[in-house]
Amino acid sequence: MKTETIISLENVTKRFPVGEGEFTALDHINLTFTKGEFSGLVGPSGSGKTTLLNIIGSLDVPTEGKATVIGHDIASLSHKASAKLRNHHIGFIFQVFNLLPVYTVFENVEFPLLLQNKTASERKKAVMEALDWIGLADYAKKKPNKLSGGEGQRVAIARAMVKRPEILIADEPTANLDAANAHSILKMMKKLNRELGTTFIFSTHDEKVMTYLERIIHLRDGKVELDERIKNKNQAS
Amino acid sequence: MIRFLWKGILRDRSRSFLPIIIISIGVALTVLLSAYMQGAMTDMVDQNARFETGHMKVMTKAFAANQSQLPNDLALLEVSDLLQQLEKDFPMVDWVKRIRFGGLIDVPDQEGNTRGQGPAIGMAFDLLNPQSEEVKRLQIEKSIVSGHLPKTVKEALVGHDFAEKLNLKIGEEITYFGTTMNGSMTFQNFKISGTIRFGAAALDRGAMVVDIQAAQKMLDMQDGAGELLGFLKTGVYHHEQAAKISQAFNDKYKNDPDEFAPEMYPLKAQNNLADLLDYADMMAGILVFIFVLAMSVVLWNTGLLGGLRRYKEFGIRLALGESKPHIYWMLILEAVIIGFIGSIFGTIIGLAGAYYMQIYGIDISDYTKNSTMLMPSVIRAKITPIIFFIGFIPGVLAMVLGTMLSGIGIYKRETARLFNELI
Ligand SMILES: Nc1ncnc2c1ncn2[C@@H]1O[C@H](COP(=O)(O)OP(=O)(O)OP(=O)(O)O)[C@@H](O)[C@H]1O
Ligand SMILES: [Mg+2]
Repeated sequence: MKTETIISLENVTKRFPVGEGEFTALDHINLTFTKGEFSGLVGPSGSGKTTLLNIIGSLDVPTEGKATVIGHDIASLSHKASAKLRNHHIGFIFQVFNLLPVYTVFENVEFPLLLQNKTASERKKAVMEALDWIGLADYAKKKPNKLSGGEGQRVAIARAMVKRPEILIADEPTANLDAANAHSILKMMKKLNRELGTTFIFSTHDEKVMTYLERIIHLRDGKVELDERIKNKNQAS
Repeated sequence: MIRFLWKGILRDRSRSFLPIIIISIGVALTVLLSAYMQGAMTDMVDQNARFETGHMKVMTKAFAANQSQLPNDLALLEVSDLLQQLEKDFPMVDWVKRIRFGGLIDVPDQEGNTRGQGPAIGMAFDLLNPQSEEVKRLQIEKSIVSGHLPKTVKEALVGHDFAEKLNLKIGEEITYFGTTMNGSMTFQNFKISGTIRFGAAALDRGAMVVDIQAAQKMLDMQDGAGELLGFLKTGVYHHEQAAKISQAFNDKYKNDPDEFAPEMYPLKAQNNLADLLDYADMMAGILVFIFVLAMSVVLWNTGLLGGLRRYKEFGIRLALGESKPHIYWMLILEAVIIGFIGSIFGTIIGLAGAYYMQIYGIDISDYTKNSTMLMPSVIRAKITPIIFFIGFIPGVLAMVLGTMLSGIGIYKRETARLFNELI
């Protein structure tokens, strides 16, 4: 049983200035995530899912409270330190097509390694391996605009996983996909979760996604409404 | 990483196309104008040197003080000895005598009565001496409109416009009236051997060109000359050298209280040419500055528009682990690359234009008609080594400046906001 805590949120609160006043998007969130978890945030639109994922991903800081990710206090990181944390330890997958348009599939997947100053041969090896995971090794030279939505999302997975991050954040990754593609991607992520031990955190409205999750955290109005651990039919597959 | 940027610039034409065009235009204009100013300055200095100042000039101290009045009563005497000495001391310089004089030209009719009259600006050069370089140096043959060079001391060239006004024919006689060096009246008849137009307003007003011996005789200046001009044998003015020679010469007469003692002046110390050259440098500086400023503003705005389009890209790059400062620096590096490409294109275009202008030039004689300064009537561009590089200053600087300004937006925007453009 692995119980090592990788993310801990203590009273995390986020307020956004709105006109004269403030809007509370997250309201005293207390959560911990352990290594290798396959969990998801669900809740109505505007409940704060993206805001919370951004804080965990060190793209934003809490207004109040403390977010600790892989031992780093998110609020205290410099530009450079938070970039380094993202670059080495956190992968992102978004709802929409989010590849760099002028670069090929290979170059997109290579980019995080370029930032890590890996050598050309190291990069090539890692990129081709990542493209093998997602079954798109033949697409290396293609441009993103030549890919279907499902293929684009698979390349995004390869790009997020190529650096073998501890944490993968997926913000509504299946929202723009048909059922077949959604299942294929979820299976792929589940497999990587098992093989590489990566911690996955989703945000989703999608019932299909929920059937893969081990843990579902329900958010409403910036508060945790329910935090349930479940046994799902797709977990074993 | 540079290769990554390079690919982006090459593939995303909309990112690089407009800035490259803007930079090319600005750089081409800078290059062309700089070449043109170079040409104008070089021509002007060159023409001044040939006709007025030499690369250095020897006069008496008193003559120098009253130069504009052509004070031949203060001229140098015993110049043969002085010339010998100069040739011995400074063999790298070609020394020549010159006399300039004022007076009146009178054109008689058959009965000997005055048919017409005009003021004369007289110039006497060493024309008849076969060893003299003066005819070639002053390009007199090229400036002759009709007729030929004087073949004897009795012949003179007259200004072409002056000749037309008085309806003078080649072979006709004219009479010069003036004062000798000692202040007495003198007159001398000359046969017109030809008409001349130098192409510089200051020279062409009532010009009269005679041999130096003729002038010495009629002005009673035996072995005298208003000025001795020195030309470096390389043919190119070199200020340090001219200044050194002048210094060496003047040191010999340092303690001579005589107002008729000779004194040497390098070109730059004459006719306010130093000021003029400094002024030209300053103008070139201002020009480049204005181009940097104007282009920066334009590129700032294109940068802002391009930046908006790229927020999505910046968001992705942030998420993948690039920091804001790094993205900012990469943008600037990209700007340097684009600035360089634009500058290369602009320099090529500008050089092509400058090359054309070097051959054809622009006729400015209409503007300089009334100028008392010695200015060439056709100004040509001149391509000097610096012209190849000058455009890169405004080109790269403006692009970098424009990008720095527009890139501030990335800093101002919250990370999460940039990032939300994705969703
Ligand atoms: N930068 C911001 N400035 C102001 N308000 C914001 C900002 N970011 C988010 N919000 C607000 O915070 C609330 C939570 O937004 P968030 O994007 O986290 O919701 P969500 O649960 O991800 O919704 P969805 O399911 O639509 O993606 C929303 O009401 C949103 O308008
Ligand atoms: Mg959201």
